Amino acid sequence: MDSISKGLDRAFNPRSVAVIGDKLALGYMWLKSLSHFQGRLYSVQIDENELPGIEALGVENYLSLRDIPDDIDYAIVAVPNTVTPRIVRDCIDANVGAATLFTSGFAESGSDGGRKLQDTIASIARDGNLNLIGPNCMGIHNPRIGLCHSLDQPHGTSGNVGFISQSGTHATFFTAVGPLNGVRISKSVSYGNAVALDCTDFLEYLGDDEETDIIGMYIEGVNDGRRLFSVLRDVARRKPVLVWKGGVTEEGSRATASHTASMAGAPVIWDTLIRQCGAIKANSLDEMIDTMKVLLYAEPTTGNRVGLAAMTGGQSVVITDAFTREGFDVPLLTERSYDKFAAFFDTLGASYRNPLDISLNFPHLDRIIRSLDILSEDDNIDIVVLEISIAFMKNLSWIDTDLFDEIIDALSGFKERSDKPFIAIVVAAHAEHEAIDVRSKLAARNIPSFSSFNSGAKALKKALSYHRTAACH
Amino acid sequence: MTTNDAIATAKKEGRTALNELESKQLLKAADIKTTDIKLARTKDEAVSLSKELGFPIVLKIISPDILHKTDVGGVKLNLNSEDEAGKAFDEIIDAAKKHDPKANIEGVSVQPMARPATEVIIGMSKDPQFGPVLMFGLGGILVEVLKDVSFRIVPLTRRDARDMIKEIKGYPILEGYRGQEPANIEMLEDLLLKVSDFVENRPEIKELDINPIFAYKDDAIAIDARVILEA
Repeated sequence: MDSISKGLDRAFNPRSVAVIGDKLALGYMWLKSLSHFQGRLYSVQIDENELPGIEALGVENYLSLRDIPDDIDYAIVAVPNTVTPRIVRDCIDANVGAATLFTSGFAESGSDGGRKLQDTIASIARDGNLNLIGPNCMGIHNPRIGLCHSLDQPHGTSGNVGFISQSGTHATFFTAVGPLNGVRISKSVSYGNAVALDCTDFLEYLGDDEETDIIGMYIEGVNDGRRLFSVLRDVARRKPVLVWKGGVTEEGSRATASHTASMAGAPVIWDTLIRQCGAIKANSLDEMIDTMKVLLYAEPTTGNRVGLAAMTGGQSVVITDAFTREGFDVPLLTERSYDKFAAFFDTLGASYRNPLDISLNFPHLDRIIRSLDILSEDDNIDIVVLEISIAFMKNLSWIDTDLFDEIIDALSGFKERSDKPFIAIVVAAHAEHEAIDVRSKLAARNIPSFSSFNSGAKALKKALSYHRTAACH
Repeated sequence: MTTNDAIATAKKEGRTALNELESKQLLKAADIKTTDIKLARTKDEAVSLSKELGFPIVLKIISPDILHKTDVGGVKLNLNSEDEAGKAFDEIIDAAKKHDPKANIEGVSVQPMARPATEVIIGMSKDPQFGPVLMFGLGGILVEVLKDVSFRIVPLTRRDARDMIKEIKGYPILEGYRGQEPANIEMLEDLLLKVSDFVENRPEIKELDINPIFAYKDDAIAIDARVILEA
């Protein structure tokens, strides 16, 4: 492990954390967010007015980082920006594993003063070999040990998904929304202006992290594109990496003399980078979480033939449109499957050609499960997709009764039996409130579900492309 | 003339654009196949070089002030005799002077007329973040109108080269659509890898267009090329 990784290892798994400059004006957000931190927590604050508030939170306060009689693995700096040079030097003297600079008002402010101050901070950090994260960011989150930068983030649990975000908002949202969808976090970091450590450093670290099986990235820009290219190529060979590039408009029109240059604008090159490295492109937080759900909870496949089961005729048409549009085949089933269906499937207003139109078979849970089993056992089918219509289930009073738990049990049993990927599309229609509950119940049983045919098809397609690329390595 | 001379000469003259002759010399030195090309400064030279290279031949204007040679009547194709070659030389020089009386005309390039084939383009430009990036697409006017192109960041692996060829929508044309002569995909991959090596070893090159490349079933030849140096 190089010195950056060693420092980051301390900071991502700290036994001791110091918060410098938390205050009432911030609502003591840092110290409060760290109330479940399992290591030793210290505050550094010189303003006497703040001391009672810090004491009330039960956190030991010191007047300087150097006064703390402990080795500090991770420091969070929230002091006014004019004081940051001195505090960054303190962090170097204290030999912290890494320091997050939450403070803003640097280059992102667009002012000359901000840019100058940023250059000063950067050179102090560089000269002192400090693993500086930020400025203008939220830093590290490790839910297992309660290292949080927001009260909304989970603590005491952990998962296998790492997240690297240039934006603090996206880091907070991802780490809060992900777990609701079964996408649980191993470690995440928000890194802001990246004056010292950049996304590539965190990618390298999480690439080697044994607790992290999948990595998501939100990137607006990178300092050293060549290095990102080589590290991303390397890490994406070992684990899935999803890249969400923010800011994809053309960087002005460049005066060029050749065809090539006029066509190679920045958005195209980022797409190229992602594809060439074998990473997965995501265009939004939802796309990223959806694709991760497939990667985490659906059996990997390189086949693109889907067996589709919808609840009604109209849905069977548009579910087919959605999957066909993403390049999936919706083939006819084998004769053997049709024979099996003929034995029990009520075809009055229904159909089992593929797509399946369940219609009047709907109230019979056993028939739905039998249908899924037939699709799963069919040699023409690689992937099984089921529409769950919340509005219809609500009308039949399935949602409010134990019956829905029976459905979940039965689907879970089917998923266990089947060796093919299975996803559910939870169509809420006007029953969005109930749908939320159903989706979280499915997530709790590791059944990936999506809120629309389009989003499910898209996520499945991204995972399929990934597995196909990986199969060629 | 060695390849260093081509770049050194241009630099000495304060030029960043290499002409077709110089560009092709660089490519040849990088083991990239181009048509034979000679410079004729006079009509007599044009005629004797035509004889030497063998008919049919092509004449093209060589001038740093004329970028779009065809548009100004600076290209004459499929010339089959000494008479035709001599006449074409005069016409090209006249057209060029008419287009821009102040144009610096170095002469006319003489090269054998290649048998027509599927045209592809390979280009390189530099991204401020990611450095040299290769582009591949169907050549000629198709690249301009349809923008059916793919990109890869240098250096390319064999698989990158294969993927970027297959990625364009026009790939079936390269496979030999409706009885057309198919392109040799492996040779195009080789060519992309050679260009990748070439631009990696030549950081002084800022932009490159090899357009068109004639893609035959057993060959791939650079028909025109244009190198722009870093300022």
